[in-house]
Amino acid sequence: MTTTLTPPSTATTEHRPVGRAVRLVRVASGIVVAVAVALPWMVNAYVVSLAATALVMAVLAMSAQLLVGLAGQPPLGQAAYLLVGAYTAATLATLTNLGPIHLLAATTAGAIAAAVTGLLAVRVRATTFLMVTFGVGELVHAAASQWVPGGSEGTHTPPVVALPGLPPMVRPGWVYLYVLACTLVIGAAVIVLTRTRFALLLRGIAAHEPRVQAAGHHTSRLLLAAYTLAGAIAGAAGALLVAVTRYVSPADAAMGISAIALAAALIGSGSMIGACAAAILLVAARDWAGGLLSGHGSTLLGLSFLALAYLPRHRLAGLFTRRDREGT
Amino acid sequence: MSAPLLRLDTVSRAYGARRVVDEVSLDLHPGARHALIGPNGAGKSTLLHLIAGTLRPTSGRIHYAGHDIHRWPAHRRARAGIARTWQHPTLARPLTVVQNVLLAVPGQHMAVLRERPRASAAALDALAQVGLAEHAQWPTSQLSYGDQRRLEVAVALAAQPRLLLLDEPSAGLATTEVARLVELIRALPTDIAVLLVDHNLDVVSAVADTVTVLHHGRHLTTGTPSDVRAHPDVRRVYLAEADHTDHVPTTPGAANGPSAAVPPVLRVRNLRAGHHGAPVLTGVALDVQAGRVSAVVGRNGAGKTTLINTIAGLHPALSGTEIVLNDRLVTGLSARRRCRAGIGLVPQGRRLFAGLTVAEHLALPRPHPGRPRTVTARQILDLFPALAERRHHRPHQLSGGEQQMLALARALLAGPQVLLLDEPSEGLAPAIVGQLAAIITGLAATGSAVLLAEQNLALALDIAHDVAVLDRGTLALHAPAADLRADPARLHDVLAVPTGST
Amino acid sequence: MGLSGLVNPYTITALDGVAYGLLLFVIAAGLTLIFGVAGVFSMAHGTLYLAGAYIAWQLADGGWVGLGLALAAAVLVGAVGGAGLAAAVRPLTDRPLDQVLATLGVAYIAADGFSTVFGAEPRSVDPPRALAGSVSLGGYQYPVYRLGFIAVAALIVVLLIWLVERSRTGAVVRAVVADPDMAEATGLRTRRTRAAVLVGGGVLAVTAGVLGAPVIGPAPGVDATILVYSLIVCVVGGLGSIRGALLAALGVGQVLTLGVALVPGAAAFVLAAAMLVALTVRHRPSLAGRPA
Repeated sequence: MTTTLTPPSTATTEHRPVGRAVRLVRVASGIVVAVAVALPWMVNAYVVSLAATALVMAVLAMSAQLLVGLAGQPPLGQAAYLLVGAYTAATLATLTNLGPIHLLAATTAGAIAAAVTGLLAVRVRATTFLMVTFGVGELVHAAASQWVPGGSEGTHTPPVVALPGLPPMVRPGWVYLYVLACTLVIGAAVIVLTRTRFALLLRGIAAHEPRVQAAGHHTSRLLLAAYTLAGAIAGAAGALLVAVTRYVSPADAAMGISAIALAAALIGSGSMIGACAAAILLVAARDWAGGLLSGHGSTLLGLSFLALAYLPRHRLAGLFTRRDREGT
Repeated sequence: MSAPLLRLDTVSRAYGARRVVDEVSLDLHPGARHALIGPNGAGKSTLLHLIAGTLRPTSGRIHYAGHDIHRWPAHRRARAGIARTWQHPTLARPLTVVQNVLLAVPGQHMAVLRERPRASAAALDALAQVGLAEHAQWPTSQLSYGDQRRLEVAVALAAQPRLLLLDEPSAGLATTEVARLVELIRALPTDIAVLLVDHNLDVVSAVADTVTVLHHGRHLTTGTPSDVRAHPDVRRVYLAEADHTDHVPTTPGAANGPSAAVPPVLRVRNLRAGHHGAPVLTGVALDVQAGRVSAVVGRNGAGKTTLINTIAGLHPALSGTEIVLNDRLVTGLSARRRCRAGIGLVPQGRRLFAGLTVAEHLALPRPHPGRPRTVTARQILDLFPALAERRHHRPHQLSGGEQQMLALARALLAGPQVLLLDEPSEGLAPAIVGQLAAIITGLAATGSAVLLAEQNLALALDIAHDVAVLDRGTLALHAPAADLRADPARLHDVLAVPTGST
Repeated sequence: MGLSGLVNPYTITALDGVAYGLLLFVIAAGLTLIFGVAGVFSMAHGTLYLAGAYIAWQLADGGWVGLGLALAAAVLVGAVGGAGLAAAVRPLTDRPLDQVLATLGVAYIAADGFSTVFGAEPRSVDPPRALAGSVSLGGYQYPVYRLGFIAVAALIVVLLIWLVERSRTGAVVRAVVADPDMAEATGLRTRRTRAAVLVGGGVLAVTAGVLGAPVIGPAPGVDATILVYSLIVCVVGGLGSIRGALLAALGVGQVLTLGVALVPGAAAFVLAAAMLVALTVRHRPSLAGRPA
C-alpha cells in the first residue's frame, strides 16, 4: 500500500502484456495512498493512532522481508534493532526533538547493532538462522532491561517535531501523517533496493548459495550486508515508534513483535507491499479485533500463525525444504 | 609447452581414515580438454570440489595461474577464473534464465539498478553460445531438463572463465541432447581449459584430448582416449574386464541356468524412476528367485543405485511401477514396511549410523514376528568374526571391509527374504572382495534371494547365477552368468562400446 | 577448616547456578533431541515449562501428596502436549519454517490461556514443607529444596544420558538422527520415534516446570525466558547433542547466577559471545555436500 511500484516477484517476469496489470496496480496503489492520507479526517483518534502503530510494524515487516523474502533467511529478532533505534531516538530526544534527526540516528544505530550481531547470524542458515536471530533478539531485550535509562519501566519522551519551525506533534492525526510520510520514503528506498544487483544476488543465495559463491561472491558477506540493511530499517521503525507512542520500554522488543514482523513477511510472499499489508492486518487483528474480544488479541495472533502454517501458500517454493543431497 | 594453468601436487582429501582422493597429481594447460573417468567412488567429483574450492584438500597443493590456491575460498577461486557446473542442475529457479546468467557476469556494481548494457550483452552472448538466447526471459523452472543443463554451462561461461569444470554434464540427457552438448563443448573458445567428469565414455572420447583415470582415489593413468582405452589396468578396473585370477573362485554350484518352475521371490515390472525431473529408469523388469544371485551390471551412472533404492522404497517410483514380493504388491509401501515384508538393503556407501557402535547397529533390526528369525546376533558374529572383536567400535573406526560386513549384518538381522546389495565391493581390497563373494554365495546357498548391483564385473560374473545389463534406463541384456563367463565379449559390447548415435 | 574456606557468597551463588543449569538442561535436552530427531524447533517448549509451573502452583499444597499429584499431572500433560505437538507438526514435515510458525501459534494461544486462567501477576510456589527450611552450609543458610532439586535433577540427567547413550531406545533415536532413510530401511519406526521424542521432551519440560516452580515460579513471560535460555543451551552445546547440552546448560546456569553477581548486566553479552564461539567452531563453511 505504500508505493506505486509493482512487487519484485512480478517485476521479474515481465515478458509481454503485463502493462495493464501494472497500470491496475498503480491505480490501486494510488487509491490506497490517497485513502491513507485522508484517514485522519475519516476516523476517530484511537483508530488513527492504531494506524500509526500499524505503519511502524509495516516498516519492521519490510526489514524482515529483506531477509526472508530476498535472501531466504527467516529472522525472528528484528524487534531488537527496533528497540536499539527507539532508545537511540529517545536518548536523542533530550537534545533535540527534531524527528528526521531521530530517524537518521536510529537508522544508523540499528545498522551498527545489526552489523555486530549479524556476525553471529550469518554463520548459519534456514531454521538455525531463525533460532540464532531469536536468541540474539531476546539477549538484546534482556540487555536492554539491564542497561537502558528507565530500566524495564521504560522512559517517556517529548513529542517530536516534523520539520524545524513546526510545532511539536501532539495530535494523533499529525503524528500519523508524519509516520506515513516516513514510511513512504523508507518503502520507496526499499523497493529501489530490491531492484539492484545486490538484491538479485540475495535471491540467488536463497535459491542456491553455492551457485552464487561459484560466481565469485562472498555470500556470508552479502548476507551480513543484507542483515545490516534490515537492522537499519528496523532502527528507523524504532524512531517512528517513539514518535507515535512517546514512550519506549524493553517490552517493545518482546518476541511477539519479531514474530509479527516475520509472519507479515511470510504472508507477503516475497513482496514488500504484501509484507506491509500483512503487518497492518496483523496489528489490526491483534489490537482492534482483540479489543472486541476483550483482550484476547494474542489468541487471535496465535490462530493466524497456525493458519499461516497450515494454509497452502505458494511462497518461496521449495526454499525451506531440505537441500537435496549432492553426490553420485 | 607453456606453463600449466592448473597443477595439482599430491592432493589428498580424507574423511576420517578414508582417503577419497589420494595423492593425485595432475597438470592442465591453457586450452586443454581433459576428462576424468573412473568407477563410482573413485573421487572424481571430490577432485572437482577440491579444485573449485567447495572442499579443501587435507594435504597437497593446488597451483593455478602461478598462485597456490589450496587455501582460497570458493568465491576467490571463482574470481580468479575457475567456473564450474554441478552434477544436478542447481539453478536459481525463481529467477529468469537471463538473471541466472547475470548472477555470474563479473565486474558489475552491487548498487546498479539496471544491468549495464555491457553486462546484458555478455549474458545474452553466453546464452547464445548454448542456444538459449530466445528463452532469456523465461522463468528457469519452465526450461526442460536438457535446457537447464545447457543453461548451467552458459552461467559458467558468463563468468569468462579460464578453467571450466564440468561435473557429469551429460547425466540424465537423452541421446540427441548429449549430441548437442558434445557440440557445445567442442565449440568452446580454445583459450578456456576444460576439465570434465563424465560417465559417458562416448562424450569423453568426443570431447577430450587427454583422459585421466582415477581408481579408489588414486591416479591410475593419463593419456589420449585411445591409449587409455587400451591400457590393461583401465580395462580391468573401469571397463570391468573379467579377471578371475583376482578372486577366490566361488562359482556357485547351481549355475546351470534359471529354473523357470520356481516362482520368484521378488518380481519387478515396468519400474520407472527419475532424478530432478530427468528419467533414469524407464521400465525395468526383473525376477529374483530364492537361492539364487541375480546381478545387475552397467556403466557408471546407468541407474543401478536408483534401481536398488527404488525397490527398497528409498527412492520414489513413478506411476505404473510394480514391485511384488511373494505375490504381495509392495510398490506403495514405505521403506520400513518393505523391510518388514522381507526386503533387506545393503546400500551403496554402507550408510552406517554415525556414532552408533557395532553392538548398537546389531541391536537395531527386529525381524517380523510372523517370520522365523533366520539369524541371531550371535550367528551373525560367528559369520563375521571380525565384528565380534569390534563390538564397541563406531563406524569411522572400522576398515572398509568391516564396515561392509556390518552393513551386511544389519540387513541380515531383519531376516530378509531378498537381499539387495548395492556395490558391495566398492572400495574394498581384492582379498576382502573374495571373502565377501564367499559370504554372498553362502547366503544364496541357504535359500536367500540376492539382487546384486555391481560395477565390478568380475565379482558379478563370479557369484551370480544370472546377469542383466542396465543400459539407457532398461535392462538391455539378460543371460545366465555361465554363458557370459564363456563369452565375455557379449558383455563388453553392451558395457564399453558405444551403441548409440556417435 | 578447608571446607568453610570454600564456602563464600560466590560458591553459594555458584550452587544456585548448578541448580539453574540442571533445570535448563532438563528442559533443553528435550528441545535439542526434538531438533535432532524431528528437525523441529519447538517454540512451544517454554510453554510446557510454564504449564508445569502452573500445575505445581495449583496442586502443590506443601505436602508430598500434592507434589506427587502435580508430578503425575505433569507426566500426563507433558505426554498429551508432546503428542499434540507431534500431531501438529506431522503434516508440516520438511517445512521447518511452517513448523516454527505452528508451534509459535500454539505458544501464543497457550500464553493467552494461562494469563486468562491464572491471572497476569507472578505466582510463587512453595516447596513441600519437609523441604521448606534451609540448612547451614559453612555459615550460610541455603534452602533445602534447592539441594533436593539438584539431587533429583542430577538423577534425571544420569537417567537421560543412560537412556540416550546406552539403551536400545537411545540407539534407535540416534540412528534416526544419523540417517532417517536408512533407519526406515532397517525396519525402524522413524515416525513413531519422532513422535516419542516429542512426547518425551514434553514430559521432561512439564516435569521440570513442576520441580522448578519453587525456583523459577510461574508468571507471564516465563515461557519466553525459558525458551530462549534453553535455545542458547542447544546452540552452544551443538544441536542434537545431549552431552554438549549438559555442559552448555551448566555454563549458562553459572553465567545467569554467578556471572550476574560478579558483573551485573554482562550476562547477555557473555551468552551471545558463547553462541558466536560455538557457531564459529562448529559451522565451518561446508556447502559441498558429501564425497562422491
